Amino acid sequence: MRDDGRRARIMAAVTVRDPAAGVSELTQRLCRFAVDEMALSGCALVLMPTAESTTVLAGAGRHARTVTGLQMELGEGPCLQAYASGVPVLLPDLAAENANRWPAFATAALAAGVRAEFSLPLSVGPGGIGTLDLCRDTPGMLSEEHLADALVAADIARDAVLYQPYAQVGPDLVELLATIGTDRVVIHQATGMIAVQLDETMSNALARLRAAAFASGRSIYDIAQDVVERQVRFDE
Amino acid sequence: MSENGGGRAAQSGEPGPDVHSSDVSREAVLARAFVRLADTLASDFDVVDFLQSLATDSVEILGAEAAGVMLADPRGGLRLIASSDERMRLLELFELQGAQGPCLDAFSSGRPVQASAADSRARWPVFAPEASDAGFQMMCAVPLRVRTDVIGALNLFRGTDEPFTGAEMDIAQAMAEMAAIGLIQERALRERSLLAEQLQAALNSRVIIEQAKGMLAEYLAMNVDDAFKLLRNYVRDHNRKLSEVARDIVNRKISRAELTTGPGQQP
Repeated sequence: MRDDGRRARIMAAVTVRDPAAGVSELTQRLCRFAVDEMALSGCALVLMPTAESTTVLAGAGRHARTVTGLQMELGEGPCLQAYASGVPVLLPDLAAENANRWPAFATAALAAGVRAEFSLPLSVGPGGIGTLDLCRDTPGMLSEEHLADALVAADIARDAVLYQPYAQVGPDLVELLATIGTDRVVIHQATGMIAVQLDETMSNALARLRAAAFASGRSIYDIAQDVVERQVRFDE
Repeated sequence: MSENGGGRAAQSGEPGPDVHSSDVSREAVLARAFVRLADTLASDFDVVDFLQSLATDSVEILGAEAAGVMLADPRGGLRLIASSDERMRLLELFELQGAQGPCLDAFSSGRPVQASAADSRARWPVFAPEASDAGFQMMCAVPLRVRTDVIGALNLFRGTDEPFTGAEMDIAQAMAEMAAIGLIQERALRERSLLAEQLQAALNSRVIIEQAKGMLAEYLAMNVDDAFKLLRNYVRDHNRKLSEVARDIVNRKISRAELTTGPGQQP
């Protein structure tokens, strides 16, 4: 089932200088490897404790954060589908997706210059911990070789996050998680404030925040910033 | 004899073939056994039931009278996990107690072992008389092995002096290897799932702490930094964990009034 030769080749490519690299360095190199090897415009390793919060652990390429950011904005998209279903979502031509599964996402991604998106789940048994997302600024399917490499890269990333170099989720990863994605923190803070303003659940408060961003054409981050700075209230 | 011994075997619900099955039905039984051996990643997987099936299936397929399965414990010692009947269970326990016998040899060498009654008297002087008293004359054992990793052994006994053929030994080894692969995969999955849960919990705690900060800031009309100070004071004064308190706030189990009274309110 596992392609040991492929795994060994990719591991060698990402550990060449420093075999003892921590999870942060290793996942970063994996994304870089994918971008270079597969001519991608972006690759990101995204951790998701739930479908409602995403943390970009590592990324490479100019579109590294584009796809994840849009899905956080819109609450829909291929990464969320891959995470929820445990099955890869392969979209070789987003222009053809336009009217289909994710109209809002496809339109926004095209506007940002993304033409193809491939989202691979980081599966653990029946569940998962996130996705490895690959995108291109040109349409077209990944070759079989590249897809096979990407699937193995997703396995390596998952194992790196879960195993390396500690027996449990150790201080390395915890520290890393405490310092990354700080621009997303404000979204969760604003969600808490809106939940109080509307006497609502966190899920509904986040949905209201998204809806406000979508309706105003601004980013969810900007609106959240306004909420935290008390420029905007939701109970008025 | 083996038919009335195993309560678990009777639960398997598989229609048993005739005692002297033809090659065709033996193949079908073998195929079914391999499917069962591959099925270790189900959510209701049970290692004892799984190895009980291995014992029962190997008796049926290999024309043995009894079978037992031992697994290595974390310290490297063997433990009896499943046996096809009660007589076998006692004999295997005796093998472990006497620290000699075919199962132990297969486990320590990582290779198949076969012995007649005469061979066994020479190799295992303590064990052989017990096997003979239990009515067994021919015995073999194969390691539960994946590459160089030996995790246990399968023991098979016959009441007659008919040796296990080369083909039968091969089938026994194949079944044992299949079981070992299944068990190792299941262990790896269990370990990974536990780590994944811890990771998800750690990530989710961070989100919930931020949400709780936002709630406090809104309750008390203060900025989120001051809200976090207040939250930390509450945690310290109540000697609780930050992530637990945050969760209680988000789930509205700690009221606004509780958060703003008590010794923690002074900055």
